[in-house]
Amino acid sequence: MADEDREHTPRVNSARLADFIGKTIRLPCKVLKVDGERLTVEAADGGQVAVNATPNADVSDTFIEVIGKVNSPSSIQMLASISMGSDLDMKLVNDTIELIHDRRFYNRMF
Amino acid sequence: MSQYESNYYGSGGGGGYLQGGSPFSQGGSPGGMRKTEVSNSLRPFTISQLTQASQAHTDAEWRVDDVEIGQVTIVAQVVSIQKQTTNSVYLLDDGTGKIEARHWVDSASDDDSHKWSSIEEMRYVRVTGSLKSFGKKKYINATHIRNITDPHEIYFHILEAITVCLIVERGPPSNPGSGPATAIKAERTTGNVSVYSAQSNAPAVNDQFAHLPQLQRSIMRFLMSQPPQDEGIHVAVIAKAIAGGSNDANKICEALDELMDQGHVFTTIDDSHFSLSL
Repeated sequence: MADEDREHTPRVNSARLADFIGKTIRLPCKVLKVDGERLTVEAADGGQVAVNATPNADVSDTFIEVIGKVNSPSSIQMLASISMGSDLDMKLVNDTIELIHDRRFYNRMF
Repeated sequence: MSQYESNYYGSGGGGGYLQGGSPFSQGGSPGGMRKTEVSNSLRPFTISQLTQASQAHTDAEWRVDDVEIGQVTIVAQVVSIQKQTTNSVYLLDDGTGKIEARHWVDSASDDDSHKWSSIEEMRYVRVTGSLKSFGKKKYINATHIRNITDPHEIYFHILEAITVCLIVERGPPSNPGSGPATAIKAERTTGNVSVYSAQSNAPAVNDQFAHLPQLQRSIMRFLMSQPPQDEGIHVAVIAKAIAGGSNDANKICEALDELMDQGHVFTTIDDSHFSLSL
């Protein structure tokens, strides 16, 4: 199924952002710095990403999932965010993301 | 990537076993009970898999990758909730697609209303139910919903869906760490098909006789691969087929005695002809 035909927000890490410029993605990440509406977050693979947050976004948790549009390989515009608590195994998350994008599963299941 | 493309894992194997295509999977084998087993089973899916599910006609069972499915469970984010008097509609998004879950309100049950009223938009939930369609649109008739309290469950669910997908395609993994099982796997993956490793039977045998010692299992596999005949199979033929140098006649006789005691085989026209009790 072609990507454009479906409402599809794949989970990604920072290395995969470059493949999704202009698309909407989910970025599970750790919040490193909050400066007004500008966030610096660490993606599951350890790469840093700049996030333009929506006004009043709840980014109080250590870990959040940002749903956003990819502006560049290192920055995204947040559309929404989901709190993920204070304990999340980022290695597990990254391994899962790599499996999601594995060509054995990507078009078929994700 | 369908099961038919890769012969490595016994493509005939998965399919034949699941669809009861082999003459040996009738009656006592798991093949015979499939219909009810599957409709009562619960399988984890991604929403994308469910949107690709198909059914032959409106009353037929749903199939994903040409395998029948029963109940489904998904983990997804609640995008919106529409509460109506008789039912509520939850729009769910797990990143792979969107699907609606419908819940019919049972006003008599306090427990029920409490469970469903704790669901909020934007949170992740686990939903269990059965796949339905109305017109061309698919939805889940939800029997259960709950909030995800540990975010690891989201990732667990993705990995579980992948695992189940692979098991359906290739059969269950052989028991890691046990020598004989690894040997069987090696034999299957190298494509070195010997006369007694009839592919359509391999997964079934693996499953059913996994608890037996290696020699007994080899005997069972050999017997299952043989065409059924009333007089059974002579012990010399069995011995010849599984003659690894180390298996002397005594050991084979002992193994056969053991299999007879357990009711897996029986003697036919005389004491040296054996047949499978299926």
